[in-house]
Amino acid sequence: MTAIGTPPPPLPVRRKPNGGAQAPADLTSPADLTSPADLTSPTDLTSSAGRPEPAAPVGAVTPAPSPAVPPGLSPMLNRLAAERATGVLLREHGRLYLVDGRIMHAESPETPGLDVLLTMGGLLDTEFWREAVAQAGARRRVGRFLVDSGRVSEGALELCHVGALFDAAYFVLGPSSAPARFRYGAVHWLGPVRPVPVAALERETLRRRALLHRIWPDPATDSAPLVRADAPAEPPVPARQGAVLGQVNGARTAADISRALGRPAFHTLVDLRRLAAAGLVRTAPAAAPPQTSPRRPSIAHGPDGLDGPDGPDASVSALLTEPSADPDVSLLRRLRDALEAL
Amino acid sequence: MPGIDECLLEAMRLPGALGAAVVDWTSGLALGTVGDAPGGDHETTAAEAAELARLAAEHRAFAPDEEEGTGWDGQDPPVEDLIVSNRDTYHLLRFVRTTFDSSVFLHLWLTRTDGNLALARIRLGEMAGRLVLG
Repeated sequence: MTAIGTPPPPLPVRRKPNGGAQAPADLTSPADLTSPADLTSPTDLTSSAGRPEPAAPVGAVTPAPSPAVPPGLSPMLNRLAAERATGVLLREHGRLYLVDGRIMHAESPETPGLDVLLTMGGLLDTEFWREAVAQAGARRRVGRFLVDSGRVSEGALELCHVGALFDAAYFVLGPSSAPARFRYGAVHWLGPVRPVPVAALERETLRRRALLHRIWPDPATDSAPLVRADAPAEPPVPARQGAVLGQVNGARTAADISRALGRPAFHTLVDLRRLAAAGLVRTAPAAAPPQTSPRRPSIAHGPDGLDGPDGPDASVSALLTEPSADPDVSLLRRLRDALEAL
Repeated sequence: MPGIDECLLEAMRLPGALGAAVVDWTSGLALGTVGDAPGGDHETTAAEAAELARLAAEHRAFAPDEEEGTGWDGQDPPVEDLIVSNRDTYHLLRFVRTTFDSSVFLHLWLTRTDGNLALARIRLGEMAGRLVLG
């Protein structure tokens, strides 16, 4: 919640959990994290010892990363589920809160939090959200408070929260280059809404990756600033995709658009891939330097303002990068981009 | 005020009900399931039903007339429900309108021998309303 554009609510999560046997301190030593029985698994230990969490099979003696294993999903998370751990898993792109080994809550700076989702549509005002967090945050019963207030039905809270949980988890479980940590005992201030088993979360995350890949294999639109592509004849766009397209302005990224619309970011990624596949959206031509080849012949009719990649055969390249009214050329160009992205 | 599970259990009390789910049609996620699913796989069923729901929600051909003008903000799906029938079962998909941004529908699977499509359609519409409004 902290990294989200709207005024952040107080974060009672930082308070220590009510004194229990489990120490809430950050774990810096692998021995804290694992029971002795787990120490035979060297790949697990590396995740808490300051190295990137590997995608290597759990229990492998030599930590040779195997490309056959789904990349990015967390062996550490599986183990925490098996030991029915309670606490928060901190990864590069967000956090997963576990209670008894099940996911209670997820948050990521890549996607709007529950506060944004509930307030943007007008279901709640920001004022009331703050009040709820202030009154029930310390007891970690904000969700219950919202329902008991009569402002949010249980069904609406569950729909919104479960959607947001899977949405944030998609980003949290994304490829990561930073170490993951687990802080035992930490409980989110929202309180229980509708817990999700770790296995279901991982299956869904993998399914979502495959879904995006199937729509359009190039992940560039997931994170880069976006511009509207000049389509010769813009086909009609479905309403929800149209809302996303309306936010594309050359500067906003998928995460910005999601916040502006109060919409789970994975939904935005799906719509952007569809728009990219339709040739309506592409990444903004960044200040990236053109790959100037020494053999580059001078082409007088080079397109203005477009940094096309000039390969050895610059005339073909120029044709392909030139904004063209001919739909065949733009189709070829998109086909080329897609093939390169495979 | 029913939650997802209460809503699905209520749907299962309809005559002929085999299974029910709440599904997000943008992602294909099953937010909640109860009973059986075709092939025994709720997650695959949800993803496939989501594709069907998305097409119905996105294509203009299925939208009401007044959508041509202004006044429709695109937040709500233009379609209320979808009915698919085969030799032995019905599938009923009911779009859920929410006050926050979402793309959710209820999916009820029922037998043709015991199911009453007209009744199921009315009741599922009521459940969709109560699920969100309480």
